[in-house]
Amino acid sequence: MARNATAQKTIYALRREIARIEGVLPERLAAPGEEDPVLRRGVSAMRGAAAGAFLETGAAGLDNALAGGVPRGALTEIHAPAARDAGAAAGFALALSSLLRKEGRRPEKRRAVCWIGTADLVREAGFPYAPGLKRVFGLPAHDLLFCAAGKLADALWIAEEASRLDDFAAVVLEIRGNPARLDLTATRRLNRRAQERGRPVFLVRAASFAEPTAAPVRFHVSSAPAVPRSTLSGALEDSIGHPAFTVAIGKSPTSLPGEFVLEWNPDVLAFYEIRPAYSRALVPAPAHRPHLPAAGGTVVALRRADAAPAPGDQPSREERPAHPGPRRAG
Amino acid sequence: MADARAMHPSLEVVEADPEADRHLLTGLADWCDRYTPLVALDGADGLFLDITGCAHLFGGEEKMMQDVLSRLLRQGFDARAGLASCPGAAWAAARFSSPSVIPSGREADAIAPLPLSALRIDTDIRAGLESVGLYTAGAILDAPRAPLARRFGAGLLTRLDQALGRAEEAISPRLPVPPLSAERQLAEPMVSTDGIEVLAHTLAVTLKQDLERRGEGADALQLSLFRVDGAVHRYVVRTSLPVREPAVIRRLFRERLAAVEDEIDTGYGFELVRLSVLEASPFALVQADLAGEGASEEEGLAFFADRVQARLGGNGLMRPVPVESHIPERAVRMVPFTASEKALLREKEEAPSAQVPPGPERPIRLFANPEPVEVIAAEVPEGPPLHFRWRRAMYHVARVEGPERIAPEWWRTPEDASTRDYFRVEDAEGRRYWLYRQGLYGAGEGMPRWFMHGIFA
Repeated sequence: MARNATAQKTIYALRREIARIEGVLPERLAAPGEEDPVLRRGVSAMRGAAAGAFLETGAAGLDNALAGGVPRGALTEIHAPAARDAGAAAGFALALSSLLRKEGRRPEKRRAVCWIGTADLVREAGFPYAPGLKRVFGLPAHDLLFCAAGKLADALWIAEEASRLDDFAAVVLEIRGNPARLDLTATRRLNRRAQERGRPVFLVRAASFAEPTAAPVRFHVSSAPAVPRSTLSGALEDSIGHPAFTVAIGKSPTSLPGEFVLEWNPDVLAFYEIRPAYSRALVPAPAHRPHLPAAGGTVVALRRADAAPAPGDQPSREERPAHPGPRRAG
Repeated sequence: MADARAMHPSLEVVEADPEADRHLLTGLADWCDRYTPLVALDGADGLFLDITGCAHLFGGEEKMMQDVLSRLLRQGFDARAGLASCPGAAWAAARFSSPSVIPSGREADAIAPLPLSALRIDTDIRAGLESVGLYTAGAILDAPRAPLARRFGAGLLTRLDQALGRAEEAISPRLPVPPLSAERQLAEPMVSTDGIEVLAHTLAVTLKQDLERRGEGADALQLSLFRVDGAVHRYVVRTSLPVREPAVIRRLFRERLAAVEDEIDTGYGFELVRLSVLEASPFALVQADLAGEGASEEEGLAFFADRVQARLGGNGLMRPVPVESHIPERAVRMVPFTASEKALLREKEEAPSAQVPPGPERPIRLFANPEPVEVIAAEVPEGPPLHFRWRRAMYHVARVEGPERIAPEWWRTPEDASTRDYFRVEDAEGRRYWLYRQGLYGAGEGMPRWFMHGIFA
């Protein structure tokens, strides 16, 4: 018996060490109770253990899939397939920030949101518009700090410094495409800062494809058709109601892959899961194999930065039409 | 010119470039900042240095003058210098008896043998004096003043008095004098920016004592780097709260130097580093409570904002400020973040917010310049578009809300400015856009045009 207890203790210590090295939450690995968390099936058991470590989105399906919600002290990637989807991706990040603000654990501090963008993306996707943010996310103008950095290195530096401060509810860093500088090291630094402060850093990436980063969770967010406005006499035909997002989990340490359609209610500042009435057929994501998100990085107006042009401005192999030789008779 | 070329075929002709001369003189004035903060330009070919209280730092007046001349000579300038207790006498000494020091009270003796032009008088007055046989300054020094004034005007007497130090003459320094500054002469030129950062820290420690004595903190700091070959770099850092902590100042300059690292040319190194306080304001001492949390909550944020500002330069961290206007792009203004304003603004904004009903729908991102949109088909002339082309891609409109008509501000724009009809548009894939049509059909000349103004969540 004594030997068993010692072994348990060793396992516990090792598990914490692994959690520290991997940078994941120790609660996830070391659930309270002496039993092995692997044996404890069911999401609810996990949720009890990690209640403080996750931000519940309020949409039960998404929370369950993520085993509790969006991690509080971590870097979370939010991908948008194209630059014109930057509104949806930034909106989702701000909605999560708004949930954090609403909690109000420490009312004086942690109210502001720091939004850092690179200048090229701000030009392409628009700058944050305070009246809209106030109306949709309840974020008053004095709680938004915005910074458009000319260089990516500066943007990363500012994000790192901002995530060190205690004054922000969340830090939103917005970057376009897949720059080489935003590698594992850079994302790991951001992730560590977020862990130290227990406050999320949202990395919004427009017009980019998924690549290995240190972020434990990655979402693919795009707009979903909004549900019509509801009136006393039923839904109002052809009206555009509350903002809706299609959120696909691209990567998560625990979750099953899946796609969810969420509606953000600006009046109560909460998410609801909806079944879109106007959307295309919703195919449930297969559970037995990873979900494949739509290929990101498709840009309409501008050529993708990393796509090297074919030499001499010739059409690339794919674009060049095949020239079949003259058909041989007989 | 043709004659000269004929005599000396190898003659090289360079056109006069007053602009470049002035630029060089300004550079020299910059360099002379090492001796005194009060440096003034004098015409196109001279500099005034007010060395009151500075001479002892360089081993006395004469040694200082020798130092200036020898350093300028090493840089390739043929400079002349004169030193006197008043600008007029120094001017004369520099131009006619360089290098010389005129002791205080001996101006008349020193100036007497000099020609009339040493008095800085107009050429026609000088010609007038010379026509009556007065060629030296000494000839009119002791002449009766009334006839001179009657004949040649009061200007001559003023100049005379200025040369003798009887009349006050102020020189106007080129740069404002910082209230406080500290500097360090380096025996070995400094090449690395890290070393400069350490020096900034050392100088900040010196400045801190002075700031404490005055009960002030620095709002703007300037780091001047004097390079061996005479170039001067100046870097200014502004803060949103008064600072006096050397560690804080050091970190601010670290960001400032990191931002310019590519363009900073250390060359052969810097031989003099000076840290000056450009602006200072009263420093409020806040006592920390026992838990150590008494210090203002804004401090961390303010320091963060300052460093971002130092790094990016110009407008670093911005904050939106609502403006009373119904034109969407004018309804909000981005201003640089300052800590003191924030609390004030919060009070103003939070008071009425509970009762006011939510305004009309507004996008969360707005384009700084509305982008033109090609509308392929609209159902009815005044109605919303069915399809539109934006950034060369085609969009099919699924649903529309609107229009919301926003008229121009008649008190700003001319009366015939066109109105805008805004539509919330959702495309087939669920993205929501804010489009507007400028103008009405059949109202003015030309067709109304469509623009994309924002993106909804």
